Amino acid sequence: MTIKVLGISGSPHRHGNTETLLDSFLDGAKAAGASVEKVILKDLSYSPCRGCNACHKTGECVVKDDAITLFEKILASDCIAVSSPIYTMGITAELKGLIDRGQFLWARKFILKTLYFSDDHIKRHKGLFISTAGQNWDHVFDGAFPAITAIFNGTGFEYYDNIIANNMDEYKGIKNHPTALKEAFEKGQNVVRVLGTLGKN
Amino acid sequence: MPIKVLAFAGSPRRHGNSETLLDWVLGGMIADPDVVIEKVALDEANINPCRGCNACEKLNKCVQRDGLDIYHDRIIDADIILLSSPIYCMGIASQAKALIDRAQVFRSRKYVLKLPVVPPQRRGKRLGGFLATAGQDWDHVFNAAIPSVKCFYHVIDIRDADISYLMINNVDEKGAIDRHPTARTDADRLGKSLVTEIKKRLAEKGS
Repeated sequence: MTIKVLGISGSPHRHGNTETLLDSFLDGAKAAGASVEKVILKDLSYSPCRGCNACHKTGECVVKDDAITLFEKILASDCIAVSSPIYTMGITAELKGLIDRGQFLWARKFILKTLYFSDDHIKRHKGLFISTAGQNWDHVFDGAFPAITAIFNGTGFEYYDNIIANNMDEYKGIKNHPTALKEAFEKGQNVVRVLGTLGKN
Repeated sequence: MPIKVLAFAGSPRRHGNSETLLDWVLGGMIADPDVVIEKVALDEANINPCRGCNACEKLNKCVQRDGLDIYHDRIIDADIILLSSPIYCMGIASQAKALIDRAQVFRSRKYVLKLPVVPPQRRGKRLGGFLATAGQDWDHVFNAAIPSVKCFYHVIDIRDADISYLMINNVDEKGAIDRHPTARTDADRLGKSLVTEIKKRLAEKGS
């Protein structure tokens, strides 16, 4: 059975450092036999969460746009790689806008109790966070992790790994980073192999 | 001399908990006749996300023409800048994140072009305030929001020590903050203390 890997690019900047790192991960996944798809958030049309909480009653979002289709695609994937550059110590507004729209899944899980992911399901669904930052601080990614954890929890994915590279300003781009692209490729291969061993449920 | 207060309400939900908290802070200020308040609901302010094009590093302005055209100058002019946001998925709302990311134009001015953001005599005479609410009762629910907020104030020349925080957790449904035991009093007190402090700063000789 083919493993389905979905890459989500949260950068407004096409083919920049973060998307290049995501591409390398997806290339690795493809090389290991996965079917691979990449979604560019800035090319989709969706609005941020309105905070109306209507989904707390219905389990459905009142806004019908590309975010809903994308969440369906996420739920049908075996592995998702969520990527964003770090802007002002956090993920981009595009990606945050998408993650916040997952509230209807949270409502299904915790309020309506119509959605449940078993431990076994979560183990067979792997999520990775891919990011780059201009700053060289080690803690530059810390503000991003909690929101990424939120989307993986909401969609039933295990937070499997990070592929993160800081100090892009000094390296003058990801292509000059000594290890990041290779690491991303290998992690792409590796996660598909692991998922293959676990088998689909 | 008027004290200019610019208040950004970052929630997509009008008149919800975080905006109410902001209103209470503004309520603590408005009794002072010198205070002039402009409040902006970011959901209606047409501020797009940053495109990451880095053109501001050369142009000293943003290539996007949208709501930030108006608020760019007002951010520079204001003496007190407040920002409120609910916590969604452990971070600030994407509307507030868009504003913060668009402050890249100030960061480029300050660090790349080495130009002043505010005139030297106004440095240290600006105050910031971050107001947030969260449905979760975890103490750490605000942690991921703070670094982005600090960046925002830093690039618009408001020092770390000059940012006040009022963050209230465990308020979820609309109106929940009305039943919070201390939020209203704390917000009112914060509003008053910001006005007192800025008056003191503005009365000091220029640095």
